[in-house]
Amino acid sequence: MVIFGASGDLTKRKLVPALFRLAYDRRLSAGFAVVGISRTPLSDDQFREKMMEAVKSFSEDTQFDPEVWAAFAQGLFYVPGDINDPGLYQRLAQKLGEIEQSRHTGGNVLFYLSTQPSQYGQAALGLGSAGLGKGSGWRRLVVEKPFGHDLASARALSDELHQVFDESDVYRIDHYLGKETVQNILAFRFGNGIFEPLWNRRYVNHVQITAAESIGVEGRGAYYQEAGALADMIQNHLLQVMATIAMEPSASFHATSVRDERSKLLRSIRQMKPDEIRCNSAPGQYGPARIGGAQVPGFRQEHGVDAESQADTYAAVTFFVDNWRWAGVPFYLRSGKRLPKRVTEIAIQFNPAPLAIFDGEGTVPNLLTVRIQPEEGISLKFLSKRPGTGMTLRPVSMDFNYGSSFGERSPSAYETLLLDAIIGDATLYTRQDMVEASWTVVEPIQTVWRETKYDFPNYAAGTWGPKSADEMLARRGHVWRKP
Amino acid sequence: MSTTLAPERILREMSDIWVDLAKQADGDASAGVLRSCSMTLVVIAQEGEDAMALGETLAALMPEHPARAIVIWPKRNEPLAAKVTAQCWMPFGQRRQICCEQIEITAPEGSMPDVASVISPIAAPDLPLIVWCRCRGTFEEPGFGALAEMANKVIVDTSAWPDGKGAIGRLAAMAARGITLGDLSWTHLTRWREMLSQVFENAMYLARLPEISRVRMRYNAANMEPMARYMGAWVVNSLENAGVRVELTLEPGADDPAVELSGKDFRVELVRQDGRMITTVNGLSDCTSLPPSSDYLLLSEELGIVQRDETFERVLALAARS
Repeated sequence: MVIFGASGDLTKRKLVPALFRLAYDRRLSAGFAVVGISRTPLSDDQFREKMMEAVKSFSEDTQFDPEVWAAFAQGLFYVPGDINDPGLYQRLAQKLGEIEQSRHTGGNVLFYLSTQPSQYGQAALGLGSAGLGKGSGWRRLVVEKPFGHDLASARALSDELHQVFDESDVYRIDHYLGKETVQNILAFRFGNGIFEPLWNRRYVNHVQITAAESIGVEGRGAYYQEAGALADMIQNHLLQVMATIAMEPSASFHATSVRDERSKLLRSIRQMKPDEIRCNSAPGQYGPARIGGAQVPGFRQEHGVDAESQADTYAAVTFFVDNWRWAGVPFYLRSGKRLPKRVTEIAIQFNPAPLAIFDGEGTVPNLLTVRIQPEEGISLKFLSKRPGTGMTLRPVSMDFNYGSSFGERSPSAYETLLLDAIIGDATLYTRQDMVEASWTVVEPIQTVWRETKYDFPNYAAGTWGPKSADEMLARRGHVWRKP
Repeated sequence: MSTTLAPERILREMSDIWVDLAKQADGDASAGVLRSCSMTLVVIAQEGEDAMALGETLAALMPEHPARAIVIWPKRNEPLAAKVTAQCWMPFGQRRQICCEQIEITAPEGSMPDVASVISPIAAPDLPLIVWCRCRGTFEEPGFGALAEMANKVIVDTSAWPDGKGAIGRLAAMAARGITLGDLSWTHLTRWREMLSQVFENAMYLARLPEISRVRMRYNAANMEPMARYMGAWVVNSLENAGVRVELTLEPGADDPAVELSGKDFRVELVRQDGRMITTVNGLSDCTSLPPSSDYLLLSEELGIVQRDETFERVLALAARS
């Protein structure tokens, strides 16, 4: 595996700890090797030392075993160089040749682009010019988001990658899809017979998908100012989650089959006109507040952020899926920084009972909640009679919790996804047509938001977003949950 | 003195508790723990009150009203801090424990706005949030409003407040802002109201209802004024609904609380003496047991009514006007 951007945060925090855990669980072949690439001049040993510190610091639930590490570290190598330098790829080719000989890798190489997105094309072309796009074994390319910043740039990026790699060898990673609960959506929907008959416009009133973060931009102010919550979260993660929740059953659990259905769903999302966008979307930006006794800054007070920034740190959008299953069912997606808690959940609200024969709470609808993080699990809320005389109903919930039900750890999203890429299973990866379908519905919203001057900040840090997002749901008689 | 509370840390500790409890089950599906939660119960304790007694009340409530309990302890000289534990019990004849989460927050003076800002993230989602405010001082703090607004119901006990009429006025003002309230002083009256209603289940007495012209409430001024005012308002309102207009008098200074409805040749009296309720109609007496209520019994009854109690709201508004 070749990691471009080996001195970056992602490598330290996610990639190498995930690979070490896979090694710890004996899921990597004995000859597995990692070649780190970055501009920082390091020797192999210095790179190993840095990665050992990273594993010790960022492996959340894996005990550091020196013997496992020693074996794993033997396969760590480093090639310093600039992505724009053609010489780098020649040195890399030489290093890969040596590794193939010494560690019997069979010429299989997984390239991982963990660099600035602007360097993706250059890296792919560099690999191609050095003849590394093809070899004696398979060659695959993993690309981190963002996959373009609009439809045109997403297409341009794909065109560049396709000059060297076939689409079937390009793995666009969306770590949300690697999370255990997101995968469990497929098991829940298609492994059980009782839910799928209810999974349609006749029984589902609306769907809410929330990805909330309690932290601010944490030093990424300059990046976030350009990206915003809509492009950073909704265009990729949340639309992929929505596609998983709403897709038609696939004929098999084969990658192509599952991805075809997900793609079909994304292409069924209605493209909104500007006047529809104004009613069905709500951007927000957090202002300063005091939370739990601590003063937190507003977005505009964050380092590297323009004092008049119009960036959206919160985005809420109502999507409609124009197919027979979902016609007329609103899908409310929201994501934001500095919301009250870190939580990612999908809530499916069912229609209330057609007739309220009980007083009071007889019409409270059933709610199925899929928690993606933290505390991955599924919960069903329903009404129950309170014990005692009289007919008083109370909402209760039936919970399935991964942590306490199985009593064993769930693999991290990167463990799942890296292993999938190594074995060539692209089920949980995003395909070019999905990226384009997502941008097709998101880009018009982005355009309207950029053309409008908003009175930001419009929500205080630690609250559930701007009033305009509440109003967006209120128009259809709905309210946001407080997850 | 005040430091900070991090909701994420509290949530993580809650999560860890369940994983630890599940591990203790050691793969035995029939043992282990069952997580139970039907609401979030925020309890604002009084500074210096008996922690053990309050703990026992909550422990008694949990099997009937399993809740994520958040107990806020006002402690003038201690920093803002939180501690997470689990409240567990083993149902008779079963091998599986049932557990609820409990979070204890120590809150120095003036920190209620800081505490209120962490309640929303740590409350159990999609379930009612009930605030039981045992501390009158906190109820009147400006920061309490934010907490009350996020609650489905706020429960207080005005019998512990010094000025009964003023207490009812403050509650009525809060109710007018759309906040759903419960008052244990009103909950105390459930049995009284039942007993009085039962008198008029007798058709002969019901027929004499129009003879009633006067209602007297006798009570101990030390802690029963809100109860007397509520009871008086409820009786007057009930009689008015039946087309009977009466004069209400409140008479503090009695050792044994009583309600008396009287007219020219008809008199009904309910008086409580030594743990008994004595009902007398035109000199004919009946006696039933009425043991003293406890916080557990009163709160258990109030937690059974999560939605608005329209009768209480009507009585509260009338009592505040009288």
